[in-house]
Amino acid sequence: MIELRNVIKRYESLTAVDDVSFSVKTGEYFALLGPNGAGKTTIVKMLLDFTRPSTGSLSLSGIPSTHPECRTSIGYLAENHHIPPSLSGWQYLLRCAELLDINRSEASDQCRRIVELIGMQGRENTKVCTYSKGMIQRFGLGAALMGNPKLLILDEPTSGLDPIGIREIRQLLESLKGQGMTIFLNSHLLSEVEKICDTAAIINRGRLLVKDTISAIVKDGETLEDVFVRLVKG
Amino acid sequence: MITKYTLIDEVRQRSFVVMFVICAICVFLVRGCYQGNYTVNGQSLDAGTIVRTLSKVTFHIIGAGVMVIAALLSMRIFRRDRNEGMQACVLSKPIARWQYVTGKIIGLWFLSVLFMFILHSIVFLITSINLQVFMPEYLAASLLCSINLLFVVIAVLLLSLLMPDIVAFLCVLGVGIVGFVADGIAAASHSQIAQAVVQQSAGHPQSNLTWWKVVYLLWPKLLGVQQLASSLIESESSPGFGPAYPVINVLLYCLILGALLFKRFRNEDIV
Repeated sequence: MIELRNVIKRYESLTAVDDVSFSVKTGEYFALLGPNGAGKTTIVKMLLDFTRPSTGSLSLSGIPSTHPECRTSIGYLAENHHIPPSLSGWQYLLRCAELLDINRSEASDQCRRIVELIGMQGRENTKVCTYSKGMIQRFGLGAALMGNPKLLILDEPTSGLDPIGIREIRQLLESLKGQGMTIFLNSHLLSEVEKICDTAAIINRGRLLVKDTISAIVKDGETLEDVFVRLVKG
Repeated sequence: MITKYTLIDEVRQRSFVVMFVICAICVFLVRGCYQGNYTVNGQSLDAGTIVRTLSKVTFHIIGAGVMVIAALLSMRIFRRDRNEGMQACVLSKPIARWQYVTGKIIGLWFLSVLFMFILHSIVFLITSINLQVFMPEYLAASLLCSINLLFVVIAVLLLSLLMPDIVAFLCVLGVGIVGFVADGIAAASHSQIAQAVVQQSAGHPQSNLTWWKVVYLLWPKLLGVQQLASSLIESESSPGFGPAYPVINVLLYCLILGALLFKRFRNEDIV
């Protein structure tokens, strides 16, 4: 589903991503972990062609990430997601549906379903400027689910959510597991990652330290946090 | 789709609505000028002449004013899309960057052309209904001036990627002002009095081509397009280089700046 080959990204004197290669299979729940500034968001941006690698290649379903058609079945939730404040949640979801060429009646059905899924019934017609950060995050996740994507790229999806919201998002993502969706997750909440993800990669200062199944990375008596700290701190 | 969202998002802005209403009221209030008694060299001017002359003045003021407004609308569009998350939202879908930029250009251009056309239509309606002077060429002239608005939109969008928004706006405004002043000076220098003064003081024929003449020739001919458009109103010959040159000049600038804009945005990092 996702393939990175010898990807390097340099910004002047800084190497944000340093010769990273890994792949994510279809249906896998994959977590990209690393401390702040490790290069996680840079990798996500390269997957979406928001920035180009200095060398190397990235592909989604075999299509180079530079081609717009590779984003046909992708849902994306940015870290610190923003929505135009003059729109309502419903209008924003409809807009996302239109951008995916979904016809009006089907778009309304999908919006209705998504509003229910993200638990925002009764708030969808109020302006986004009245929403809390958590509500904006929920609508952002809802927009990412528009069009039944095959791949979800989530950059800190639980950012701004309270513990109940975090649990609801985890349960939502778990419910999508059986439907063949692939998830690429950036998260700092290692406890949540350990519960829902199949595989993980840990990067630090742009370099890939480990990429394997959670069960192979986390030995008996250890938590993912222990492994993370051990690898990052050296 | 991008064009539609650009139009909707701009029209939703309170500042845009206020600006439009103020401009429309100002144009409407000018109608009193048409009914004044004007004399030149002791002779009263006939009503038809007053209407046509004042309509031309209003035409130019509206044309220049809407260019400033188009620049104001364009300067913040990329930044606003970035800050509100729409740029990332759109470009994470199967939409190419050139489609996004094209949608923005067309949306802004259409909105500013519509803005200008409505203001010009108010003048047209005032002269037609109140004063019984019918000038259909007034509206055609308005549409011709849309070329200038395309230039302003593309130039400001390109410069807003390279420098702060307000500097981009001021640069394009500066280009427009310099062009207007230069064309004004060139028009005045072709008058008989000016030519006589120059020949008297120089005492010899002027050299044919200097560097400043080349710069002047190549400068965006925004006033030239406006003058060509206003020449339609009174069916007079267009001044300066002839009818085609200003249009070709501005269209060429649109093509070159447009190509640079697409190239620049293709390499832009999306936040």
